[in-house]
Amino acid sequence: MSNNKNPLLPHLATLQNVIDLTPDVRLFQIELNDAAFKAKFDYKPGQFIFVSAFGTGESPFGLASVAHRKGPIEVAVRKVGTVTSSLHDLEPGASVGVRGPFGNFFPMDQFKGKNIHIIGGGIGFAPLRPVILTILDHRTDYGDLLILNGARTPSDLVFANEFETWAAAPKTRLELTVDAKDDKWTGRVALIPAVLKELQISPANSVAIICGPPIMIKFTLTELKKLGFADEQIVTTLEGKMKCGLGKCARCNVGDKYVCKDGPVFTFKQISGLLEQF
Amino acid sequence: MSKFISKKDLNSWLNKVRESRRLVAPTKVDDLILFKEISRVEDIVTDYVNTDLSPKEFLFPPTEVLFSIERKNGGVELTPARVEKETVIFGMRPCDARGVIALDKPFLEEPTDPLYKEHRDKTALVGIACLKACPECFCSSMGGGPDDPTGFDIMLTEVKDGYLVQVLTEKGQALLPDSMLSESSVAKPKAADVSKVPAEGINKKLRQNFEDPYWSRLADRCIHCNMCSYVCPTCYCFDIRDYPNKGKTNRVRSWESCQSAGFTKIAGGYDPRANKGTRMRQRFAHKLLYFPEQFGVSHCVGCGRCVKSCPVNIDIREIIQDVQKLGAEGE
Amino acid sequence: MSETEQIRSKAKELLDSKKVDCVIGYERATDGKNARPMFAYSVKDADRLIFDQTCRHNLVRYLLDRKDKLTGIVVKACDSRAINLLLNEHQIQRDKIFIIGVVCPGLVKTDWNKTGDKLRDACQLCQQRTPVVYDVLIGEAKKLEPPADAYPDVAAMEGKSLEEKRAFWEKEFSRCIRCYACRQACPGCYCSECFVDRLDPLWVGIKIAPGENEMWNTMRAYHLGGRCIGCYACELVCPVNIPLSLLNRKLEKEVMKLFKFQPGLDPETPQPLATFQKDEKLGVAE
Repeated sequence: MSNNKNPLLPHLATLQNVIDLTPDVRLFQIELNDAAFKAKFDYKPGQFIFVSAFGTGESPFGLASVAHRKGPIEVAVRKVGTVTSSLHDLEPGASVGVRGPFGNFFPMDQFKGKNIHIIGGGIGFAPLRPVILTILDHRTDYGDLLILNGARTPSDLVFANEFETWAAAPKTRLELTVDAKDDKWTGRVALIPAVLKELQISPANSVAIICGPPIMIKFTLTELKKLGFADEQIVTTLEGKMKCGLGKCARCNVGDKYVCKDGPVFTFKQISGLLEQF
Repeated sequence: MSKFISKKDLNSWLNKVRESRRLVAPTKVDDLILFKEISRVEDIVTDYVNTDLSPKEFLFPPTEVLFSIERKNGGVELTPARVEKETVIFGMRPCDARGVIALDKPFLEEPTDPLYKEHRDKTALVGIACLKACPECFCSSMGGGPDDPTGFDIMLTEVKDGYLVQVLTEKGQALLPDSMLSESSVAKPKAADVSKVPAEGINKKLRQNFEDPYWSRLADRCIHCNMCSYVCPTCYCFDIRDYPNKGKTNRVRSWESCQSAGFTKIAGGYDPRANKGTRMRQRFAHKLLYFPEQFGVSHCVGCGRCVKSCPVNIDIREIIQDVQKLGAEGE
Repeated sequence: MSETEQIRSKAKELLDSKKVDCVIGYERATDGKNARPMFAYSVKDADRLIFDQTCRHNLVRYLLDRKDKLTGIVVKACDSRAINLLLNEHQIQRDKIFIIGVVCPGLVKTDWNKTGDKLRDACQLCQQRTPVVYDVLIGEAKKLEPPADAYPDVAAMEGKSLEEKRAFWEKEFSRCIRCYACRQACPGCYCSECFVDRLDPLWVGIKIAPGENEMWNTMRAYHLGGRCIGCYACELVCPVNIPLSLLNRKLEKEVMKLFKFQPGLDPETPQPLATFQKDEKLGVAE
């Protein structure tokens, strides 16, 4: 958990490396400064942290790395507002703040032995990466793996440099799709729900994990239901405007549940049971 | 027999308190009555029902530096803010003490907010029972009462020439030792008559009628100012941002309201509560359903301030009555 | 028929004939003494409409939330000038609104649960009791004798020394709690992103503190320079009684002096501060 003494005080960290994933998305690799805290810092797929751009503010980001690989903390940041713009101005060596990890996590243990369908759109794919890495690192624990990554254009596909590794894994299928192609794209041009329809994925012994913009989730959900997926079989990670991440500032709630504390991972059964329907 | 303090002795005591602590009490500011730091005990008003703004600002300030950020030696140094002075808030009403109890819940629950805790530990609450209520008060319907001592360190009840005194906590004992008090056989005066509001079971009713178009209609006249949240003793939504300040940067926390447009808008533009009706519903659902179910205490203390201040008369008492009738025959 | 009865009758007629979906007017507030805004969607709702001297809200603000909907609205004289302002700025369409104009007797000073007979300061100085735009007029059009001095309150402030003025405003703004009720109540404040909410650039911060409070209130007054139609809803809604109208009236007086222009009298006249005539001087040195 965060700094026990002051939950709103960030831990100091240093930006190790910045990798451009797309024209507006960067992968930040961050190392915590304090060795003792770093040794204790453990997180699971689905959790998030607050990253501070000192002088501007802080924002929540889904963790895109996995703790068990013992590498730097990775978050994918899309330049879309004031904090993200300030973060994008930073160079390796810069000081940032980290608070977290917060939230619940994907129940990877419950997914063992099942076929996993990972469906992500745009920057929404970032919190799904830890699920993929966990499965690939413990490949025999899980059934078939389908990774469906979609974006507006080919240059907006995130983690393109890892596609080859993912596709090469045993019993793993990588499908890519874009809404609009460019001159070099020879792959599929279709919306994600259409791809699901084309692939006719089976709900048998399966879990579908989806993340992306609200409109994509809405239509993907409809398609999954048509293919026979039950609400408990569909898992997503919600987002919301957050300030504290601790369930204190009363901002990110959906009905009586806090995205930061009771989520961000929810099954669709849980979401349909929420008081507020967004 | 009860403990008693004369008005004269009380004033001497308050003067003594002022010497070593910050004394906050109700005072006249133009035609408002507000809790302010007092420099003269004579400025304290005693003939009032309640203040226009709640005393929560002394535990949860409208604007507060959380920590400062300084760039040093190639890195960054963070210095958390501290609360220096001890404070005594004098002249609080029982509803506002219930308000503090409600505020304690989110801030003191693990992980504890250390700045709020410092304010809280360093503040003593001295209450005065209500012998008069205003028509908008409805504390007894929200779990409190006009002479309810819950939450105070010292509770006073006005009688002829002085006050009956109840010292309720160790902090109160340390502040007002027994030696300053005498005995009295004066009967405790009758507490104020407070209006009733049918709040029993409101949480269930809200849950059942969550999707009712009532909220949209109610929100029609709401102008989305932040007033209800700011005058309320229990509202605690906040915004956090970094501010440059003379070479350093401060991370500052300020009051915000769930009613303002953009409260839930995320970078990129998506806003799940862009609709006025959903924001209106959020306020009352938080007050009367989510908070009580999460923390076990009411989030509305029945002080009536929002009723008096709302420029368009969004009246929580009316809303409670309306919601109780929703879904019933005829509605 | 009283004003109330006439308004109810007209509203019912409009709703019944479906000429509008909604009539925005006033009804009695829960203190039994004051008025509050009310949206009548049906003939039954319209029976709750009232009009009296406690009807202090400027309802024109709500038209901005109903831009593409047919709406009836009850307006006093000052409110009607707001309609012209919004028409001038192309924020609302004339053919979507049905204006029930009421000749205003002036508002009384009221507070929660308290009303009286004394007229509001601004209403005592008012120069127009008859709405300037309407589809139907309730009450008899009145021509008022303009007062000898239209801005005695502004003149009094102008007479103070710089130190006195600074001390005055420091005291007043120290009470500001940045609830933004002033902005929200004002029909002229409708920017989709208010300058005070902008983070980049950061014009004014979120701190509820002196320094920022002055910036907020004075900049808002400037943004209304030449646009404020003088309803002073801002001052009426302020929970800590800051005399905001003084700021707006000072700018009103200056605009009148410089351009002989009163905002809101008609929807066509271009606003002097929003237009640049060919023969205007470019700068100080010219």
